[in-house]
Amino acid sequence: MPTLDAPEERRRKFKYRGKDVSLRRQQRMAVSLELRKAKKDEQTLKRRNITSFCPDTPSEKPAKGVAVSLTLGEIIKGVNSSDPVLCFQATQTARKMLSQEKNPPLRLVIEAGLIPRMVEFLKSSLYPCLQFEAAWALTNIASGTSEQTRAVVEGGAIRPLIELLSSSNVAVCEQAVWALGNIAGDGPEFRDNVITSNAIPHLLALISPTLPITFLRNITWTLSNLCRNKNPYPCDTAVKQILPALLHLLQHQDSEVLSDACWALSYLTDGSNKRIGQVVDTGVLPRLVVLMTSSELNVLTPSLRTVGNIVTGTDEQTQMAIDAGMLNVLPQLLQHNKPSIQKEAAWALSNVAAGPCHHIQQLLAYDILPPLVALLKNGEFKVQKEAVWTVANFATGATMDQLIQLVHSGVLEPLVNLLTAPDVKIVLIILDVISCILQAAEKWSEKENLCLLIEELGGIDRIEALQLHENRQIGQSALNIIEKHFGEEEDENQTLLSQVIDQDYEFIDCECLAKK
Amino acid sequence: MELSDANLQTLTEYLKKTLDPDPAIRRPAEKFLESVEGNQNYPLLLLTLLEKSQDNVIKVCASVTFKNYIKRNWRIVEDEPNKICEADRVAIKANIVHLMLSSPEQIQKQLSDAISIIGREDFPQKWPDLLTEMVNRFQSGDFHVINGVLRTAHSLFKRYRHEFKSNELWTEIKLVLDAFALPLTNLFKATIELCSTHANDASALRILFSSLILISKLFYSLNFQDLPEFFEDNMETWMNNFHTLLTLDNKLLQTDDEEEAGLLELLKSQICDNAALYAQKYDEEFQRYLPRFVTAIWNLLVTTGQEVKYDLLVSNAIQFLASVCERPHYKNLFEDQNTLTSICEKVVVPNMEFRAADEEAFEDNSEEYIRRDLEGSDIDTRRRAACDLVRGLCKFFEGPVTGIFSGYVNSMLQEYAKNPSVNWKHKDAAIYLVTSLASKAQTQKHGITQANELVNLTEFFVNHILPDLKSANVNEFPVLKADGIKYIMIFRNQVPKEHLLVSIPLLINHLQAESIVVHTYAAHALERLFTMRGPNNATLFTAAEIAPFVEILLTNLFKALTLPGSSENEYIMKAIMRSFSLLQEAIIPYIPTLITQLTQKLLAVSKNPSKPHFNHYMFEAICLSIRITCKANPAAVVNFEEALFLVFTEILQNDVQEFIPYVFQVMSLLLETHKNDIPSSYMALFPHLLQPVLWERTGNIPALVRLLQAFLERGSNTIASAAADKIPGLLGVFQKLIASKANDHQGFYLLNSIIEHMPPESVDQYRKQIFILLFQRLQNSKTTKFIKSFLVFINLYCIKYGALALQEIFDGIQPKMFGMVLEKIIIPEIQKVSGNVEKKICAVGITKLLTECPPMMDTEYTKLWGIHGPL
Repeated sequence: MPTLDAPEERRRKFKYRGKDVSLRRQQRMAVSLELRKAKKDEQTLKRRNITSFCPDTPSEKPAKGVAVSLTLGEIIKGVNSSDPVLCFQATQTARKMLSQEKNPPLRLVIEAGLIPRMVEFLKSSLYPCLQFEAAWALTNIASGTSEQTRAVVEGGAIRPLIELLSSSNVAVCEQAVWALGNIAGDGPEFRDNVITSNAIPHLLALISPTLPITFLRNITWTLSNLCRNKNPYPCDTAVKQILPALLHLLQHQDSEVLSDACWALSYLTDGSNKRIGQVVDTGVLPRLVVLMTSSELNVLTPSLRTVGNIVTGTDEQTQMAIDAGMLNVLPQLLQHNKPSIQKEAAWALSNVAAGPCHHIQQLLAYDILPPLVALLKNGEFKVQKEAVWTVANFATGATMDQLIQLVHSGVLEPLVNLLTAPDVKIVLIILDVISCILQAAEKWSEKENLCLLIEELGGIDRIEALQLHENRQIGQSALNIIEKHFGEEEDENQTLLSQVIDQDYEFIDCECLAKK
Repeated sequence: MELSDANLQTLTEYLKKTLDPDPAIRRPAEKFLESVEGNQNYPLLLLTLLEKSQDNVIKVCASVTFKNYIKRNWRIVEDEPNKICEADRVAIKANIVHLMLSSPEQIQKQLSDAISIIGREDFPQKWPDLLTEMVNRFQSGDFHVINGVLRTAHSLFKRYRHEFKSNELWTEIKLVLDAFALPLTNLFKATIELCSTHANDASALRILFSSLILISKLFYSLNFQDLPEFFEDNMETWMNNFHTLLTLDNKLLQTDDEEEAGLLELLKSQICDNAALYAQKYDEEFQRYLPRFVTAIWNLLVTTGQEVKYDLLVSNAIQFLASVCERPHYKNLFEDQNTLTSICEKVVVPNMEFRAADEEAFEDNSEEYIRRDLEGSDIDTRRRAACDLVRGLCKFFEGPVTGIFSGYVNSMLQEYAKNPSVNWKHKDAAIYLVTSLASKAQTQKHGITQANELVNLTEFFVNHILPDLKSANVNEFPVLKADGIKYIMIFRNQVPKEHLLVSIPLLINHLQAESIVVHTYAAHALERLFTMRGPNNATLFTAAEIAPFVEILLTNLFKALTLPGSSENEYIMKAIMRSFSLLQEAIIPYIPTLITQLTQKLLAVSKNPSKPHFNHYMFEAICLSIRITCKANPAAVVNFEEALFLVFTEILQNDVQEFIPYVFQVMSLLLETHKNDIPSSYMALFPHLLQPVLWERTGNIPALVRLLQAFLERGSNTIASAAADKIPGLLGVFQKLIASKANDHQGFYLLNSIIEHMPPESVDQYRKQIFILLFQRLQNSKTTKFIKSFLVFINLYCIKYGALALQEIFDGIQPKMFGMVLEKIIIPEIQKVSGNVEKKICAVGITKLLTECPPMMDTEYTKLWGIHGPL
């Protein structure tokens, strides 16, 4: 199922402390549109229940041996009858239709007006089997489009579903959890409907050591949907209620539980520094860092994402993540065999590099540059992009010493190669980095060697060609670099005269004139 | 302005006049049109004319006028009046697409441009129907119309390739994708089908292929920012068809033209770009198609001929392979020995061959040839692309590739040996191959800096380069000579010194070659060799080592300047300058001849200075002659003055702007060389140097200031005694200079020289005024640069006149002013002063101020001691 949470969107927060901070940050934040297909490695928003989760659900008993096959008309008739057995049969048939693997007739069922009756059935506590079938059917309807979820909500399902959380029938209870998860996953509006209907305490009360694992997974997933989405974010009270439970779930061994708990934390940290603070203050970071070493991709991805979100926060929050050992793990992750992980790790790194120079020093202490340069050289393009951002942040915030180490790590070769990349932003950033390094080199009197190095790498040819780029900013940047750093060849001590070239009498070397 | 026949008639008349060659008729007509273009209906009148006029010339003229009108006026600039009334805007947008599509090509082009200008401003928000209107035309089946639409779409969408990602941009792209991607895909498929049904109809094919080219370009634009969901879902369709088109050939589409790329080439070239875009940006999604494209593109290369018309296609295709082969996960596509051999043999080697077009450039357009070959402006050439491919392959397969090419090099050299006069091109290719194989990194300054260790460069030099250069006939096989010289030039840091030394007389000999490329390369190679550095940073070659060749070297260099096409050859002049610099005293015996030749040259080029670099090196050479000679014998300065002043006078009299600054600088040098008092010949010039008109040209200022400084240094007493009336003029120059932010530092150079050298009493009466001027400038615009110069000046003043004098002059302007200057300027800013001499001046000045100025000890200035000390 496609998700709405696009990778670029979560990144609305991105630190870049270049020369035009506000602008850069805005540009990173501004684009929440996506042209791409939604990513497969994100968590699902809504899920349909296709097969029952426990074999001996109450529904199996009456259904046994009775092969029910009804038309839609018969179903409508059935659910509207006053006979609980007929109601059950009709609901179950509808539920089965909704559970078929391909093209479930969600729209038909909604148009047939079945929802209000099913919501009624949720309340028929005498017939748990009926409750179960109705909850299941509603779960699957709510798994559809926003409009279809809306039909379930407007049918008044939320409150009765929450009531069912206290049902003594485990299957009924679990199905209600699932349905609520689908509703909450739709977006902020319904999520808040579920929250204000006081679902959280009931959900949390269900968590117990003896709970079957599938049930616990469902609860965790529903909780994560309650943390999810923005505009607005879930309210503080809800977050405060859920956080301790998430911490508790994070100690579990089951990878699906861990995965969803991490996703929940990733949503909670995807926002203002205050929201990040709420999560960081629970002391969860060391555990998250441990989970970043997980061999399970579904645990690694969201835990890395969460830590990545945290380092978009204040310098203190970033420091806490460093103290928890994130930089121990990142070098391995930069070398992970999945490009999506490399990219995520590089993104996290870029935000650490955007910090004060003592954070940059930490990056050096953990020897982060070699794997970073390797990614710049051989990573997939989307990974190279993040790595370029990292280098840019590093270069603009580094001390002279740190900058020298950056250059010595061999970063210029891949940067120069990427100057021909079909991505204007990246090209511009690289030009900025090169200009920044050259400027610094002037101060440590290494400019000449650096210019030679750039020339050896074919950089001058490329930068010269970029002067004609159709993007004016790139053209201007390239021109500035050439004019400022690669002007006329200097003749060591032999030039007696200022050079008078062209009509504008530009004096290139005025040194000999300023002899006093 | 009404849409009336009368108005149409008037407009027609005026449009006709705008085409008149006589400016007296043309200009007023243009003015008139501009004066009425603000009226309502004006653009609609133009549109009516371009559609309905009986006169074809008027139609075209109206369309051009209309486009220019749109270009000037369509954009609505904030805070400026809207220059086109709303009703006209609406009417234009409602009609222009239809008009464009129904017009003949010449007019269609103008209207298409106008649409993209309007689109840039109005699309999509203020022109919501445009996309639907365009898409609907796809159904028309009329490819004249369809191509018009595609061209317009291309001009609207191509900016997606170079604009930064933004919400606005991506919203637009999304909108375009939703409306356009599917119809475009269907059109693509339909067009390809039509190509096979019309496979035997040349004129139909040409139109259809034009469509395919435009569609492929649109594909590139729409896929540039990110991979759109639609194109990911439809990748199969697009890539399969692209692949088929790459492998397609049709006799009917082949052109006879050797130069101009035909439709087939343009299409395939664009497809290579599209594949390269996907391979680089969307590797994950494109991976499964990539191997097929590698094979197709490689086959394409193997079957494409040597004609110039294929150049773009070939270099694009090779660059695609080069970018893929150096990526680790595609390594396997190339690693098979047969594959490598085949790429080397069929792709690299053929594209390194010296072609007829290269030969033509070598002979008839040597300047361009040198620029491309020497300075690396060969980015789009086949040779360059082939070189890049070799480098790419060497990343993983250096050993095998070197092995394969060594075989080729040997067999090509054998071919050459069999019959040099017929097979010389084989040797050229062999040298080129060795060069590209061996050079891993290169700079102008040092030549090759990293070489492939598997290639024995010295052995190749001895066996194959030296023999060519040793041959008695310098004009035989000029291309091979140029290759050989270039080889020395770029591998100068790899070939041992003793071999380089052997080649120096050979290079000197080749200065006589008739071929411009050959003698230019020889001069350049010598120049580069002479700048090489050995241990201890001394030049690699000593003057003693070159001494045996001095005479012939200098003779041949100057003779080379007389060869046809090289009279202002900057490489030769630079080599002359470099030789002087290396040889130093060794040139003194030849100075009389040299300076004569240089002044003659100077006189000749001053008639029409056109080569700035040449001129610069020429003046450098003159200066070097003066320096070197006068260092040994200061009295010789007179000889130089004799030789040069005549030409200088002529340059000054004829006001040769390019040379005047140089002349002043050479004169400064000459004047500085004089040990005694200033000669009278110079003093006669002094008043002229203060003429305001000379100072109006900013290019003169640094040189003039330097010359005046030399006057002050050598002739301050003479000025004070014999030209005291010129001192106000001197200070006038100072005043003019410090008023300008760009030149204020020059003003300070002059002022500092005055303070340093002029007898104090001669400037006494002006001192207060000088300080007042400086204060005025400080108040009007206080820049860091000005303050730094100002600080150096007051410290110099303090050293020269004493600390007390400094305090007194300030406080004499206004009581307590010195305290203010100390507190607001000296103390906070002094650390900004840079430059060794400048810092030293400030250190001494401040020390004097602190120790030799009684008011600093015991007045209210004492409190300033508490402020953090400046030093």
